[in-house]
Amino acid sequence: MRLNIQMLISHGRVARKMGLGPESRINMLRNILTGLVRHERIETTRGRADEVRFYAEKLIDYAKKGDTDEKAMKMANFWLTEKDLIPKLFKVLAPRFETQPKAYTRMARIPNRENLDKAAMAVLEYKGNPFPPLQTAKRDNELTLINQLLKGYREERAQQAAAKRQDIL
Amino acid sequence: MACRTVCQLLQRRLASSAASVRLSPAEVRGQRSAVFSREQARQRALYPRTEKIEVTLQIPGLQGTLLVMNKGVSTPHSCARHLTEWYVTSSALALVDGNPWPLHQPLTQSCSLSLLTFKDTDPLLVNQAYWRSCAALLGQVLEDAFKEDFSVELIRVPEVLVTSGAFCCDVVLDPQLDAWNPSEESLRSLTRGAQQLIHRDLPWEPLEVVPPVALEVFSHSRCKQEEVEEKSAQSPKGTVMLYRCGDHVLLSGGPLVARTGLCSQYEVTAIHPLGEGEWGLHRRAQGLSLPFQLQAHHTVWRKLRSRAEKLVEVPTGSANEAVSDTLTPPSAPKQTPPHTAQQ
Repeated sequence: MRLNIQMLISHGRVARKMGLGPESRINMLRNILTGLVRHERIETTRGRADEVRFYAEKLIDYAKKGDTDEKAMKMANFWLTEKDLIPKLFKVLAPRFETQPKAYTRMARIPNRENLDKAAMAVLEYKGNPFPPLQTAKRDNELTLINQLLKGYREERAQQAAAKRQDIL
Repeated sequence: MACRTVCQLLQRRLASSAASVRLSPAEVRGQRSAVFSREQARQRALYPRTEKIEVTLQIPGLQGTLLVMNKGVSTPHSCARHLTEWYVTSSALALVDGNPWPLHQPLTQSCSLSLLTFKDTDPLLVNQAYWRSCAALLGQVLEDAFKEDFSVELIRVPEVLVTSGAFCCDVVLDPQLDAWNPSEESLRSLTRGAQQLIHRDLPWEPLEVVPPVALEVFSHSRCKQEEVEEKSAQSPKGTVMLYRCGDHVLLSGGPLVARTGLCSQYEVTAIHPLGEGEWGLHRRAQGLSLPFQLQAHHTVWRKLRSRAEKLVEVPTGSANEAVSDTLTPPSAPKQTPPHTAQQ
């Protein structure tokens, strides 16, 4: 193709370049994904965590098809470099996300790495992991005025619903 | 004790003869406010020389801080002013030696002080005080709302739990208004009156008085005098707490919050007729309010408001009172005051 200035400007290009080339990128993501399946919560750079998220969720979708499925087994075999994790994927992770249709992972940003590169870091985890939660939603005290009013409101609604059910019966 | 009741009866007789001269509501208010100011000045004059007291703060982060304040002059509000502006704006009530204490009441001895806000771990006292203050504000708005030809009598402010959804104020309007039912427009104009009072940010000034002074303040209102007698019989020291907001003097069963500016969302939701009672057609005015630190999103506010429009039943102890009031037929002779039933 014509070599022009537009080739050097990357406006609007969403595909990330990682490592030495496309094959290297896939290998890096494979390693990170294997680490994620083994430990269920890992810490990497922001760009890599964002890239792996797509592949992590697609892998779960394939695992949901079951280990008898040819394609699912091929995918798991390719993406997981440590082969003892293939049973874990099909027997632990896939049943965990049976009821959920989509969001299996959670990404939280953390302060930059302490090294010279000061890389922007992130924590990537599969939901339902056994570790303590990363971010707790700050809830107001149950006894504040507005929460007490809402509690009374909810109780009244429950009473009305119970009364309605009684009438129907 | 018999001599005391005789004195009270005499006072009542003399008071009722004074009330036969019909004063306009504004004059009544002015007179009440004048008596209040006089009593306030008299109580302040009890401490002619400045004596110092030591106040220990029990606030998270400032535990054990010692403030040297003036006896009989310094209030918890002035203690908060020695700290930062946040303490002044956010504190609603104070705890002096473990007792709830209105923020503008002077401290009389060395004590431990903690300032309570709406977002504490245990805001029950503050919530109840806020509910009482909003009901007092509602009573004030109702007194101001009607024209001078129509009389408004505030009967009492029933103690309602916060979970019931609305604060209420029992009121009796002029007999000419017996057929009047409030429309949405009138409720909205009452809300506007309340919002104006909130905007003026008036403090609720507390004053602890002996019953004769309280009876003099409310010399033009029979039901208020009965309420004074009830409250003085119930209180351990035999005194009654009066609060002044602007130029209205009111009676209250417990501490009120510091000032009207603490409320942000305030709406008068309904006025329900309760039936014929001791003083005429009793009506229950209800409202809903939230302080400025706990503002609700408009969707949540709408749901809470629709619940606040329903009639709030007052719980058992005073429900007997209310029921006995409503069941009394108007033609029957006036029965013994209901406070004997509580005892």
